[in-house]
Amino acid sequence: MENESSAPNSHDSICPICLGPFIQPSYLDHCLHQFCFNCILRWIKVVSGKHYHTPPPSSSVKCPLCKTDNFSIIHGVDGTCFQRHYINTNLQDDCFVLSRAHRYRLQCYYTQQGCVEDIFNVLQYWKSRKYNQQNNWLQTWLRREIQALTQEEDVDIIVHHIFGVVKTSWTGEQKSHIKEPEKKQEEFMMSVSEAARPFLGARTDRFVYEIQLFLASGLNIEAYDAVYIQRLGWSSPGENTEVSQNELVDRTTVIPYLYIFDDDSDGTE
Amino acid sequence: MQASRARLFKEYKEVQREKTADPDIQLVCDDSNIFKWTALIKGPSETPFDGGVFQLAFSVPEHYPLQPPQVRFLTKIFHPNVHFKTGEICLDILKTAWSPAWTLQSVCRAIIALMAHPEPDSPLNCDSGNLLRSGDVRGYQSMARMYTRLAAMPKKG
Repeated sequence: MENESSAPNSHDSICPICLGPFIQPSYLDHCLHQFCFNCILRWIKVVSGKHYHTPPPSSSVKCPLCKTDNFSIIHGVDGTCFQRHYINTNLQDDCFVLSRAHRYRLQCYYTQQGCVEDIFNVLQYWKSRKYNQQNNWLQTWLRREIQALTQEEDVDIIVHHIFGVVKTSWTGEQKSHIKEPEKKQEEFMMSVSEAARPFLGARTDRFVYEIQLFLASGLNIEAYDAVYIQRLGWSSPGENTEVSQNELVDRTTVIPYLYIFDDDSDGTE
Repeated sequence: MQASRARLFKEYKEVQREKTADPDIQLVCDDSNIFKWTALIKGPSETPFDGGVFQLAFSVPEHYPLQPPQVRFLTKIFHPNVHFKTGEICLDILKTAWSPAWTLQSVCRAIIALMAHPEPDSPLNCDSGNLLRSGDVRGYQSMARMYTRLAAMPKKG
Protein backbone atom coordinates (compact mmCIF):
# COMPACT_ATOMS: atom_id res chain seq x y z
CA MET A 1 0.00 0.00 0.00
CA GLU A 2 1.00 3.58 -0.27
CA ASN A 3 3.35 4.93 2.28
CA GLU A 4 5.07 7.57 0.29
CA SER A 5 5.29 10.61 2.41
CA SER A 6 7.28 9.88 5.51
CA ALA A 7 5.39 10.56 8.71
CA PRO A 8 5.59 14.28 8.82
CA ASN A 9 6.56 16.75 11.40
CA SER A 10 8.83 19.54 10.44
CA HIS A 11 8.92 21.16 13.86
CA ASP A 12 12.00 20.55 15.94
CA SER A 13 10.75 21.79 19.25
CA ILE A 14 7.57 19.75 19.63
CA CYS A 15 7.04 16.09 20.32
CA PRO A 16 5.76 14.27 17.23
CA ILE A 17 3.39 12.20 19.35
CA CYS A 18 1.59 14.76 21.52
CA LEU A 19 2.47 17.74 19.29
CA GLY A 20 3.26 19.67 22.47
CA PRO A 21 6.55 20.93 23.87
CA PHE A 22 8.84 18.15 25.08
CA ILE A 23 8.22 16.92 28.62
CA GLN A 24 11.22 14.95 29.86
CA PRO A 25 12.89 14.96 26.44
CA SER A 26 14.02 11.48 25.45
CA TYR A 27 15.82 9.97 22.51
CA LEU A 28 15.67 6.59 20.85
CA ASP A 29 19.13 5.07 21.03
CA HIS A 30 19.76 4.40 17.34
CA CYS A 31 18.03 7.08 15.30
CA LEU A 32 18.13 9.67 18.12
CA HIS A 33 14.69 11.01 17.29
CA GLN A 34 13.26 12.97 20.17
CA PHE A 35 9.98 12.43 22.05
CA CYS A 36 8.48 13.08 25.46
CA PHE A 37 9.47 10.21 27.74
CA ASN A 38 5.87 9.30 28.54
CA CYS A 39 4.71 9.62 24.93
CA ILE A 40 7.26 7.17 23.56
CA LEU A 41 6.77 4.87 26.53
CA ARG A 42 3.02 4.73 25.95
CA TRP A 43 3.58 4.02 22.27
CA ILE A 44 5.97 1.17 23.10
CA LYS A 45 3.36 -0.31 25.40
CA VAL A 46 0.76 -0.16 22.64
CA VAL A 47 3.09 -1.78 20.13
CA SER A 48 4.25 -4.53 22.45
CA GLY A 49 0.68 -5.22 23.52
CA LYS A 50 -0.27 -6.19 19.99
CA HIS A 51 1.81 -9.37 19.70
CA TYR A 52 1.75 -9.12 15.95
CA HIS A 53 4.76 -11.18 15.06
CA THR A 54 6.26 -12.81 18.09
CA PRO A 55 4.43 -13.82 21.25
CA PRO A 56 7.02 -12.38 23.65
CA PRO A 57 7.09 -8.59 23.35
CA SER A 58 9.91 -7.49 21.14
CA SER A 59 12.82 -5.85 22.87
CA SER A 60 13.01 -3.28 20.11
CA VAL A 61 10.66 -0.62 18.83
CA LYS A 62 10.42 0.98 15.44
CA CYS A 63 10.80 4.75 15.57
CA PRO A 64 7.44 6.40 14.81
CA LEU A 65 9.27 8.84 12.55
CA CYS A 66 11.79 6.76 10.62
CA LYS A 67 10.94 3.09 11.40
CA THR A 68 14.48 2.39 12.57
CA ASP A 69 14.75 -0.38 15.18
CA ASN A 70 15.69 0.96 18.59
CA PHE A 71 16.42 -0.90 21.79
CA SER A 72 16.34 1.72 24.49
CA ILE A 73 15.22 5.21 25.38
CA ILE A 74 17.85 7.69 26.46
CA HIS A 75 16.42 10.18 28.91
CA GLY A 76 17.28 12.41 31.84
CA VAL A 77 20.11 13.92 29.82
CA ASP A 78 21.64 16.68 31.95
CA GLY A 79 24.80 17.43 30.02
CA THR A 80 27.01 14.93 31.76
CA CYS A 81 24.84 11.92 32.50
CA PHE A 82 21.79 10.21 31.16
CA GLN A 83 19.50 7.36 32.08
CA ARG A 84 18.55 4.49 29.88
CA HIS A 85 15.28 2.63 29.65
CA TYR A 86 15.53 -0.70 27.88
CA ILE A 87 12.47 -1.63 25.92
CA ASN A 88 10.41 -4.41 27.48
CA THR A 89 13.32 -5.75 29.47
CA ASN A 90 11.13 -5.63 32.56
CA LEU A 91 8.98 -8.31 31.00
CA GLN A 92 11.80 -10.73 30.44
CA ASP A 93 13.07 -13.15 33.03
CA ASP A 94 16.72 -12.73 32.30
CA CYS A 95 16.81 -8.99 32.66
CA PHE A 96 18.90 -7.31 35.29
CA VAL A 97 16.91 -5.43 37.86
CA LEU A 98 18.79 -3.02 40.06
CA SER A 99 18.58 -4.01 43.69
CA ARG A 100 17.91 -1.42 46.35
CA ALA A 101 21.60 -1.35 47.14
CA HIS A 102 22.37 -0.66 43.48
CA ARG A 103 19.83 2.12 43.46
CA TYR A 104 21.27 3.74 46.50
CA ARG A 105 24.70 3.71 44.91
CA LEU A 106 23.36 5.20 41.69
CA GLN A 107 21.49 7.86 43.64
CA CYS A 108 24.70 8.79 45.45
CA TYR A 109 26.06 9.92 42.11
CA TYR A 110 23.32 12.50 41.92
CA THR A 111 24.20 14.04 45.27
CA GLN A 112 26.83 16.60 46.12
CA GLN A 113 30.27 15.13 46.50
CA GLY A 114 31.80 15.34 49.95
CA CYS A 115 29.18 14.40 52.50
CA VAL A 116 31.31 11.69 54.09
CA GLU A 117 34.71 13.27 53.55
CA ASP A 118 35.10 14.15 57.21
CA ILE A 119 34.65 10.52 58.27
CA PHE A 120 36.73 8.86 55.61
CA ASN A 121 39.93 10.77 55.16
CA VAL A 122 41.19 10.11 51.69
CA LEU A 123 44.40 12.06 52.04
CA GLN A 124 45.26 10.22 55.23
CA TYR A 125 44.75 6.99 53.32
CA TRP A 126 47.47 7.92 50.88
CA LYS A 127 49.79 9.43 53.49
CA SER A 128 49.76 6.38 55.70
CA ARG A 129 50.00 4.09 52.71
CA LYS A 130 47.00 2.09 53.79
CA TYR A 131 46.80 0.66 50.33
CA ASN A 132 49.52 -1.77 51.36
CA GLN A 133 46.88 -3.55 53.43
CA GLN A 134 44.75 -5.73 51.30
CA ASN A 135 41.11 -4.74 50.91
CA ASN A 136 39.11 -7.93 50.55
CA TRP A 137 35.89 -6.21 49.61
CA LEU A 138 37.09 -4.02 46.80
CA GLN A 139 36.24 -6.39 43.99
CA THR A 140 32.70 -6.96 45.25
CA TRP A 141 32.28 -3.25 45.81
CA LEU A 142 33.52 -2.48 42.30
CA ARG A 143 31.11 -4.97 40.79
CA ARG A 144 28.09 -3.44 42.48
CA GLU A 145 29.23 0.08 41.70
CA ILE A 146 29.76 -0.64 38.01
CA GLN A 147 26.51 -2.60 37.75
CA ALA A 148 24.66 0.34 39.21
CA LEU A 149 26.34 2.86 36.93
CA THR A 150 26.05 0.91 33.71
CA GLN A 151 22.73 -0.71 34.61
CA GLU A 152 24.13 -3.94 33.21
CA GLU A 153 24.44 -7.23 35.04
CA ASP A 154 27.45 -8.74 33.37
CA VAL A 155 30.29 -6.39 34.18
CA ASP A 156 32.97 -9.00 34.88
CA ILE A 157 35.31 -7.71 32.23
CA ILE A 158 35.10 -4.11 33.40
CA VAL A 159 35.57 -5.13 37.04
CA HIS A 160 38.51 -7.32 36.15
CA HIS A 161 40.08 -4.54 34.12
CA ILE A 162 39.65 -1.79 36.69
CA PHE A 163 40.61 -4.03 39.59
CA GLY A 164 43.79 -4.93 37.69
CA VAL A 165 44.65 -1.30 37.15
CA VAL A 166 44.05 -0.52 40.85
CA LYS A 167 46.30 -3.36 41.96
CA THR A 168 49.03 -2.39 39.56
CA SER A 169 49.04 1.14 40.83
CA TRP A 170 49.54 -0.18 44.38
CA THR A 171 52.24 -2.70 43.65
CA GLY A 172 54.11 -0.12 41.63
CA GLU A 173 54.62 1.63 44.97
CA GLN A 174 57.09 -0.98 46.21
CA LYS A 175 59.78 0.23 43.82
CA SER A 176 59.50 3.92 44.45
CA HIS A 177 59.00 4.66 48.14
CA ILE A 178 60.12 8.22 47.76
CA LYS A 179 56.99 9.38 46.01
CA GLU A 180 54.84 11.97 47.70
CA PRO A 181 51.43 10.71 48.78
CA GLU A 182 49.82 13.46 46.69
CA LYS A 183 51.79 12.35 43.68
CA LYS A 184 50.84 8.79 44.36
CA GLN A 185 47.18 9.69 44.62
CA GLU A 186 47.33 11.69 41.44
CA GLU A 187 48.82 8.76 39.57
CA PHE A 188 46.20 6.42 40.96
CA MET A 189 43.40 8.74 39.90
CA MET A 190 44.87 9.16 36.45
CA SER A 191 45.27 5.48 35.71
CA VAL A 192 41.93 4.42 37.19
CA SER A 193 39.99 7.11 35.40
CA GLU A 194 41.73 6.22 32.17
CA ALA A 195 40.66 2.61 32.65
CA ALA A 196 37.10 3.44 33.67
CA ARG A 197 36.25 6.27 31.32
CA PRO A 198 35.38 4.17 28.27
CA PHE A 199 32.72 2.41 30.35
CA LEU A 200 31.49 5.07 32.72
CA GLY A 201 31.81 8.20 30.64
CA ALA A 202 30.97 11.39 32.47
CA ARG A 203 30.61 9.58 35.79
CA THR A 204 34.25 8.53 35.78
CA ASP A 205 35.60 11.32 37.99
CA ARG A 206 33.01 10.77 40.66
CA PHE A 207 33.61 7.04 40.43
CA VAL A 208 37.33 7.48 41.05
CA TYR A 209 36.49 9.66 44.02
CA GLU A 210 34.06 7.09 45.39
CA ILE A 211 36.62 4.28 45.10
CA GLN A 212 39.03 6.27 47.22
CA LEU A 213 36.34 6.94 49.81
CA PHE A 214 35.58 3.27 50.07
CA LEU A 215 39.23 2.33 50.32
CA ALA A 216 39.89 5.05 52.87
CA SER A 217 37.01 3.85 55.01
CA GLY A 218 38.64 0.46 55.52
CA LEU A 219 35.15 -0.87 56.15
CA ASN A 220 33.36 -3.79 54.65
CA ILE A 221 30.49 -3.08 52.30
CA GLU A 222 27.64 -3.35 54.83
CA ALA A 223 29.34 -1.09 57.32
CA TYR A 224 30.33 1.38 54.64
CA ASP A 225 26.79 1.55 53.27
CA ALA A 226 25.41 2.07 56.75
CA VAL A 227 27.68 5.03 57.43
CA TYR A 228 27.16 6.53 54.00
CA ILE A 229 23.40 6.27 54.13
CA GLN A 230 23.16 7.59 57.61
CA ARG A 231 25.20 10.56 56.60
CA LEU A 232 23.02 11.21 53.59
CA GLY A 233 19.99 10.85 55.82
CA TRP A 234 18.27 8.36 53.57
CA SER A 235 16.46 5.27 54.67
CA SER A 236 18.50 2.14 54.43
CA PRO A 237 18.73 0.05 51.29
CA GLY A 238 19.65 -3.14 53.11
CA GLU A 239 17.93 -5.12 55.80
CA ASN A 240 20.51 -4.84 58.53
CA THR A 241 21.01 -1.09 58.59
CA GLU A 242 17.90 0.32 60.12
CA VAL A 243 18.37 3.96 60.83
CA SER A 244 15.93 5.44 63.24
CA GLN A 245 13.76 8.00 61.50
CA ASN A 246 13.83 10.31 64.50
CA GLU A 247 17.52 10.95 64.11
CA LEU A 248 16.94 12.25 60.65
CA VAL A 249 14.11 14.64 61.17
CA ASP A 250 16.03 17.86 61.46
CA ARG A 251 18.44 17.02 58.70
CA THR A 252 17.39 18.17 55.27
CA THR A 253 17.45 15.24 52.94
CA VAL A 254 17.28 15.31 49.21
CA ILE A 255 16.90 11.90 47.66
CA PRO A 256 17.48 12.19 43.95
CA TYR A 257 14.59 10.79 42.02
CA LEU A 258 15.54 8.65 39.04
CA TYR A 259 13.06 7.83 36.33
CA ILE A 260 14.36 4.31 35.87
CA PHE A 261 12.79 3.45 39.19
CA ASP A 262 9.38 3.91 37.65
CA ASP A 263 9.76 0.58 35.91
CA ASP A 264 8.78 -1.41 38.96
CA SER A 265 5.56 0.31 39.66
CA ASP A 266 4.05 -0.22 36.23
CA GLY A 267 5.65 -3.51 35.34
CA THR A 268 2.29 -5.22 35.28
CA GLU A 269 -0.41 -4.11 32.96
CA MET B 1 -8.88 10.66 26.58
CA GLN B 2 -7.27 13.88 27.83
CA ALA B 3 -4.15 13.23 25.76
CA SER B 4 -6.10 12.62 22.58
CA ARG B 5 -8.22 15.71 23.15
CA ALA B 6 -5.12 17.84 23.71
CA ARG B 7 -3.45 16.49 20.64
CA LEU B 8 -6.54 16.98 18.46
CA PHE B 9 -6.79 20.52 19.69
CA LYS B 10 -3.18 21.11 18.60
CA GLU B 11 -3.98 19.66 15.21
CA TYR B 12 -7.04 21.89 15.02
CA LYS B 13 -4.93 24.97 15.69
CA GLU B 14 -2.35 23.85 13.15
CA VAL B 15 -5.06 23.40 10.53
CA GLN B 16 -6.41 26.89 11.28
CA ARG B 17 -2.95 28.39 11.07
CA GLU B 18 -1.95 26.77 7.80
CA LYS B 19 -5.24 26.73 6.01
CA THR B 20 -3.63 27.68 2.77
CA ALA B 21 -0.56 25.46 3.12
CA ASP B 22 -2.09 22.54 1.23
CA PRO B 23 -4.80 23.70 -1.17
CA ASP B 24 -5.73 20.09 -1.98
CA ILE B 25 -6.89 19.34 1.55
CA GLN B 26 -9.58 21.04 3.59
CA LEU B 27 -9.95 19.58 7.07
CA VAL B 28 -12.93 20.55 9.19
CA CYS B 29 -13.66 19.57 12.75
CA ASP B 30 -17.22 18.84 13.83
CA ASP B 31 -18.62 21.83 15.73
CA SER B 32 -19.63 19.87 18.78
CA ASN B 33 -17.30 16.87 18.78
CA ILE B 34 -13.55 17.12 18.37
CA PHE B 35 -13.39 13.37 17.67
CA LYS B 36 -15.34 13.74 14.43
CA TRP B 37 -13.73 15.40 11.43
CA THR B 38 -14.48 15.65 7.76
CA ALA B 39 -12.07 16.42 4.97
CA LEU B 40 -12.50 17.53 1.39
CA ILE B 41 -9.65 16.38 -0.82
CA LYS B 42 -9.05 17.17 -4.47
CA GLY B 43 -8.54 14.27 -6.83
CA PRO B 44 -4.90 14.29 -7.95
CA SER B 45 -4.18 15.53 -11.43
CA GLU B 46 -3.34 13.08 -14.22
CA THR B 47 -5.62 10.51 -12.60
CA PRO B 48 -9.24 9.63 -13.35
CA PHE B 49 -10.11 11.50 -10.14
CA ASP B 50 -8.81 14.85 -11.45
CA GLY B 51 -11.36 17.60 -11.04
CA GLY B 52 -13.33 15.76 -8.40
CA VAL B 53 -13.69 16.74 -4.76
CA PHE B 54 -13.98 13.81 -2.38
CA GLN B 55 -15.34 13.92 1.12
CA LEU B 56 -13.74 11.82 3.87
CA ALA B 57 -15.16 11.11 7.32
CA PHE B 58 -12.77 10.73 10.23
CA SER B 59 -13.68 9.04 13.46
CA VAL B 60 -10.92 9.47 16.00
CA PRO B 61 -10.54 6.83 18.74
CA GLU B 62 -10.04 7.87 22.35
CA HIS B 63 -6.49 6.52 22.41
CA TYR B 64 -5.46 8.56 19.40
CA PRO B 65 -2.64 9.02 18.37
CA LEU B 66 -1.67 5.63 19.75
CA GLN B 67 -4.45 4.19 17.64
CA PRO B 68 -5.15 5.25 14.05
CA PRO B 69 -8.25 7.25 13.14
CA GLN B 70 -10.98 5.46 11.19
CA VAL B 71 -11.38 7.04 7.79
CA ARG B 72 -13.81 6.36 5.00
CA PHE B 73 -14.91 7.97 1.79
CA LEU B 74 -18.33 9.60 1.95
CA THR B 75 -18.13 10.37 -1.74
CA LYS B 76 -18.55 7.37 -4.00
CA ILE B 77 -15.28 6.42 -5.68
CA PHE B 78 -14.23 3.64 -8.03
CA HIS B 79 -10.84 2.59 -6.71
CA PRO B 80 -9.38 -0.88 -6.03
CA ASN B 81 -8.59 -0.07 -2.39
CA VAL B 82 -11.85 1.61 -1.46
CA HIS B 83 -15.00 -0.36 -0.70
CA PHE B 84 -17.59 0.73 -3.25
CA LYS B 85 -20.52 0.66 -0.83
CA THR B 86 -19.07 1.58 2.56
CA GLY B 87 -16.18 3.79 1.50
CA GLU B 88 -13.80 1.80 3.70
CA ILE B 89 -10.15 2.33 2.78
CA CYS B 90 -7.48 -0.36 2.66
CA LEU B 91 -4.30 1.46 3.56
CA ASP B 92 -1.51 0.03 5.71
CA ILE B 93 -0.90 3.21 7.67
CA LEU B 94 -4.49 3.15 8.85
CA LYS B 95 -3.97 -0.34 10.24
CA THR B 96 -0.72 -2.17 10.97
CA ALA B 97 1.73 0.47 9.81
CA TRP B 98 0.17 3.28 11.83
CA SER B 99 2.58 5.59 13.61
CA PRO B 100 1.58 8.21 16.19
CA ALA B 101 3.62 10.73 14.26
CA TRP B 102 0.97 10.80 11.54
CA THR B 103 -1.64 13.53 11.74
CA LEU B 104 -5.09 13.83 10.20
CA GLN B 105 -3.56 16.15 7.65
CA SER B 106 -0.84 13.69 6.69
CA VAL B 107 -3.36 10.85 6.53
CA CYS B 108 -5.22 12.93 3.92
CA ARG B 109 -2.00 13.27 1.98
CA ALA B 110 -1.47 9.51 2.14
CA ILE B 111 -4.99 8.93 0.83
CA ILE B 112 -4.36 11.32 -2.07
CA ALA B 113 -1.20 9.34 -2.82
CA LEU B 114 -3.22 6.12 -2.71
CA MET B 115 -5.70 7.56 -5.22
CA ALA B 116 -2.84 8.20 -7.64
CA HIS B 117 -1.20 4.84 -6.99
CA PRO B 118 -3.77 2.08 -6.50
CA GLU B 119 -2.70 -1.30 -5.18
CA PRO B 120 -4.79 -3.79 -7.18
CA ASP B 121 -3.30 -6.76 -5.30
CA SER B 122 -5.13 -5.98 -2.07
CA PRO B 123 -8.50 -4.92 -3.42
CA LEU B 124 -11.62 -3.95 -1.52
CA ASN B 125 -13.30 -3.27 -4.84
CA CYS B 126 -12.68 -6.44 -6.85
CA ASP B 127 -14.17 -5.14 -10.09
CA SER B 128 -11.81 -2.21 -10.05
CA GLY B 129 -8.87 -4.36 -8.96
CA ASN B 130 -9.55 -6.96 -11.64
CA LEU B 131 -9.59 -4.36 -14.41
CA LEU B 132 -6.12 -3.21 -13.39
CA ARG B 133 -4.82 -6.72 -12.75
CA SER B 134 -5.93 -7.86 -16.16
CA GLY B 135 -4.13 -4.88 -17.67
CA ASP B 136 -7.23 -3.00 -18.75
CA VAL B 137 -6.02 0.41 -17.66
CA ARG B 138 -8.36 2.17 -20.09
CA GLY B 139 -11.34 0.33 -18.74
CA TYR B 140 -10.37 1.18 -15.17
CA GLN B 141 -9.77 4.82 -15.98
CA SER B 142 -13.02 5.33 -17.80
CA MET B 143 -15.02 3.69 -15.03
CA ALA B 144 -13.23 5.72 -12.39
CA ARG B 145 -13.67 8.92 -14.39
CA MET B 146 -17.36 8.25 -14.85
CA TYR B 147 -17.88 7.85 -11.11
CA THR B 148 -15.81 10.93 -10.44
CA ARG B 149 -18.16 12.91 -12.73
CA LEU B 150 -21.23 11.36 -11.23
CA ALA B 151 -20.35 11.68 -7.58
CA ALA B 152 -17.45 14.06 -7.05
CA MET B 153 -18.20 16.97 -9.32
CA PRO B 154 -20.83 19.66 -8.99
CA LYS B 155 -23.93 18.81 -10.98
CA LYS B 156 -24.13 20.81 -14.19
CA GLY B 157 -27.06 22.98 -15.11
